[in-house]
Amino acid sequence: MDKTPVFVLTGFLGAGKSTLLNRVLADPAFGDTAVIINEFGDVALDHDLVRVGETKIARTTTGCLCCTVGSDIRSTLHELHVLASAGEIAFGRVIVETTGLADPAPLVNQLIPGGAQALGLRDNLVARNFELTGVVTLVDIVTGELSIENHFEATKQIAFADRIVLAKTDLARDPASVRDIDSLKVRLAGLNPAALIDDGHQEGFDPAMLFQRRVYAPSSLGDDVVGWLALEEAVRGDSGHGSEPNREPTASSFARHGARIRTFALTRTDPIAREAFGKFLSLLATSAGPRLLRVKGLVQDQDEPDRPRIIHVVQHAVFPPTILNAWPSEDRRTRLVFITDGIDPEPVRQLFEAALNGKPGKAGRALGKLGAKSQKPSGRARANWHAP
Amino acid sequence: MNRLANPFAPRRALPEKTRQIKAWVCELCNLDDAVVVSVTELACRDEDCPDIETVIGIMRPGEKIEIIRVHKEVAEVTREDVIGAGGNSN
Repeated sequence: MDKTPVFVLTGFLGAGKSTLLNRVLADPAFGDTAVIINEFGDVALDHDLVRVGETKIARTTTGCLCCTVGSDIRSTLHELHVLASAGEIAFGRVIVETTGLADPAPLVNQLIPGGAQALGLRDNLVARNFELTGVVTLVDIVTGELSIENHFEATKQIAFADRIVLAKTDLARDPASVRDIDSLKVRLAGLNPAALIDDGHQEGFDPAMLFQRRVYAPSSLGDDVVGWLALEEAVRGDSGHGSEPNREPTASSFARHGARIRTFALTRTDPIAREAFGKFLSLLATSAGPRLLRVKGLVQDQDEPDRPRIIHVVQHAVFPPTILNAWPSEDRRTRLVFITDGIDPEPVRQLFEAALNGKPGKAGRALGKLGAKSQKPSGRARANWHAP
Repeated sequence: MNRLANPFAPRRALPEKTRQIKAWVCELCNLDDAVVVSVTELACRDEDCPDIETVIGIMRPGEKIEIIRVHKEVAEVTREDVIGAGGNSN
């Protein structure tokens, strides 16, 4: 019997993983897909942003999979296998959407033969019934280069891919920007000569092809990938400096991301005035810039409370909101999730409250705490929020 | 320069620095081409240590992986740090 194919969908924060996943899941041929969505931190939101139809199965895991001691992905696959064996669900394919900060090495090690050691019957069952058949990495043409320069995980996500998809290429309309895409492709080929590179907006691009069964062979991806997989296993068994040699590993032992990277959430029950929220986003994006790795969320707009707005901010770029015709769940609160690099939650919360309550003095003090150099909102951020 | 990216954003130049660290390790340990050197950045697992550490794996064929830890981010690692962490084993 064929093993169930497992595909990993990865890409740095804001690259467009959920958007691509939505495109794929809209295809009736993907009705037999089980989706595992992993989110950084303990605030789950993506399950509301990915529109999973009735025939699909979704599991959300919080806490970065790459940081989790043991085999969280194997636990989730085992859970799916048990439910399928009992006849409660049926699926023919699994797609794992990772957090944008995920280091793929531990995840891939959990899913390939000869990778992480099986820890019992559960892991053996998973190995007998599932196989990793592809790693798809999205690269945002706007922030991709900076992500490669500044975040180790971004380089690893590219190196582990057997398919790379360039996202947001529709934003590049002038010849100079098109040349930049060509330069980025050269750079990506340098990091991963083996992966096929697709343009996600090119005519004829079919995202379904990314998730067709194939052989995923890390050894064909070069010395870096082989080295990272081996180093991952070696580090897992290493007790670290200054610790007792026989110390048992703890959950925190395998954290990938330092305390500088934080995730936190803001919620609000009352509907929000559109202009005030636009001001908040533009002030935040302008002042925090690249330290604001990602903001995503659902907003209850005062003028259209029944039509939630999905907002996306990636570093300095505030993208136009997507407007839904209905709330994806009974929870109609405004929920914003932030992933930041060196930004404390408190000044962001203060800025949020001050902007929504029309308190410019308090907003200025909050910006000061954020280390803002300029308090002038960017025209692009403001314009984008107001776009329908 | 990528016109779509923020030109004022700070850059850590990680790919270039990683290549540099590998070159230092190969030179200091007198490694030949058969040896794979791997570099990664992890959150340090020990208390009282900096937030992020650089972990270097030296993979000699048929031998256990040798791990060198430098308690700095990749972008801040110097040749002297690699020497101090034991990267001169030959």
